[in-house]
Amino acid sequence: MKRIKLLSLQVLVMLVFLATWHVVTATSLFGDVKTMQFFFSTPAAVLGRTFNQLTGSEIYYHLGITLTETVLAFGIGSAAGILFGFAFARRELLSAVFDPYIKAANALPRVVLAPIFALWFGLGIWSKVALGFTLVFFIVFFNVYQGVREVSPTILANARMLGMNERQLFKHVYWPSALTWMFSSLHTSVGFALVGAVVGEYLGSSAGLGYKIHEAESVFDVTGVFSGMLILTIFVILIDALVTLVERRLLVWRPVQSSTTTA
Amino acid sequence: MTLQDRPRQGAGADGPAVALGGVDITFHLADGGRYQAVRDIDLAVKPGEFVSIVGPTGCGKSTLLNAAAGLLSPSQGTVSIFGKPLVGLNRRAGYLFQQDALMPWKTALDNVKVALEPMGVPEREADAQAREWLARVGLRSFVDRYPHMLSGGQRKRVSLAQMLIRNPEIILMDEPFGPLDAQTRQIMGNLLLDLWSRDRKALMFVTHDLEEAIALSDRVVVMSAGPAAGIVADYAVSLPRPRDIADIRLEKAFHEIHRDIWSSLRVEVQKAYAMGEGKELVEGQQSVGGEAR
Ligand SMILES: Nc1ncnc2c1ncn2[C@@H]1O[C@H](COP(=O)(O)OP(=O)(O)O)[C@@H](O)[C@H]1O
Ligand SMILES: [Mg+2]
Repeated sequence: MKRIKLLSLQVLVMLVFLATWHVVTATSLFGDVKTMQFFFSTPAAVLGRTFNQLTGSEIYYHLGITLTETVLAFGIGSAAGILFGFAFARRELLSAVFDPYIKAANALPRVVLAPIFALWFGLGIWSKVALGFTLVFFIVFFNVYQGVREVSPTILANARMLGMNERQLFKHVYWPSALTWMFSSLHTSVGFALVGAVVGEYLGSSAGLGYKIHEAESVFDVTGVFSGMLILTIFVILIDALVTLVERRLLVWRPVQSSTTTA
Repeated sequence: MTLQDRPRQGAGADGPAVALGGVDITFHLADGGRYQAVRDIDLAVKPGEFVSIVGPTGCGKSTLLNAAAGLLSPSQGTVSIFGKPLVGLNRRAGYLFQQDALMPWKTALDNVKVALEPMGVPEREADAQAREWLARVGLRSFVDRYPHMLSGGQRKRVSLAQMLIRNPEIILMDEPFGPLDAQTRQIMGNLLLDLWSRDRKALMFVTHDLEEAIALSDRVVVMSAGPAAGIVADYAVSLPRPRDIADIRLEKAFHEIHRDIWSSLRVEVQKAYAMGEGKELVEGQQSVGGEAR
């Protein structure tokens, strides 16, 4: 009952939004229709273009490229984040020495690195992977670091009293604890991997969703820009759903926390 | 008749299971200060003996167990295990911690099973043994539950199985039944006595519940209020075994022992209470500290 009411209200918001958009762009109430459509396109045109693209085959090539970059950035960024997170958490000196540099590097807005990466790695996928990497790495790094440092001292003492050696402690205590922290930021890190890919493509490439949007923008094809954004949104929602699925599988042992996101 | 169990105990029967000699433990606080928790502790626990340690909160009971476990090395004094000075962790002891110590990412079964991994027990056998132990502590149908899906008492049982499955020669237990309700405590107490009486190990049992201490143990050791807490009394409990910890409380002998021990414990509890009240008053704390020294 409550669910249905909520859902219908949510749909209503969308309808009002689309209707307003339509009225603004398809009637002369707010100005010249041609001008309005040049700047804002129309909902019908955007939905139509999106439908055509999704039923065509070209867009899947671009989606594939973006997905590849995202997966690579996430994979490599996570691996490096885990490695460094562990190393820093277990070596007091290392973390003390590098602390200011890590903070400085993390404070830098990563987008400014895009041109440099394009210079170093070319306009292919690797410059985008590099950009995504710099975003993913820090999230995973900080979380793994925290996860290793914040292992409950009691659990650790107990494991040691059970006779575990360093390797077994790693396997049964540090690793699961670090992974928990990493998974808790899975949505963020996957999201950032995607941001890195799309922004990188947008700033210079010949393939990918970011490229598609940029291409449409450079010829003032507002319909194309909006449709690209819509496809990107759908793509992100799908990936996010997948992450949620993975998360549920991996963190079965956790008490169910009340979710704040809608189904 | 003692010949039979000689060979089993022979390996380590060359001294008390745990012997603390003149142990001082001082903590170095983060603000540069020091806190002497316990002072000049002499305590020996024989193989097969069930010793309870009671005392006001914060007097240093956990600290003593940590020293016996080798998790903490005393600032002064010696810790010997079966006559040998303890170096590093006490490999012959099992420790049931006061706080939850189960790995939350493992099921009850895996938590118990993992205790056998350091001993090199093959997976199959570890699985069978872990199931058997979980059944023994009454959790046969909870093997696949994660800790958060178990009640406090059930978690303690898993911890108990996890510790006992390794068959340690010395058992250290820190207020294991502290947070449980009265009925569960009784059930757990009887379960513990049942398990312990099968092959009596040396057992150091910390509790703040004097009745529980008497009902379970062969000896009750009373600690004074901290700082620089010491042992103020040591009572033998010569009630017959096997015991039922609910029934034994009704006996006359129990009451007599209880009255005796309580007379020494009460003073310390009141001291600790007064100190807690006067924490804000620097003067009051100093005078108490001076007295303890
Ligand atoms: N790591 C520590 N650092 C400083 N003080 C500690 C530490 N551990 C325990 N203490 C202090 O030592 C005293 C004894 O603690 P504890 O052994 O835990 O008492 P309890 O008898 O309640 O188990 C307490 O006053 C406590 O504040
Ligand atoms: Mg304690």
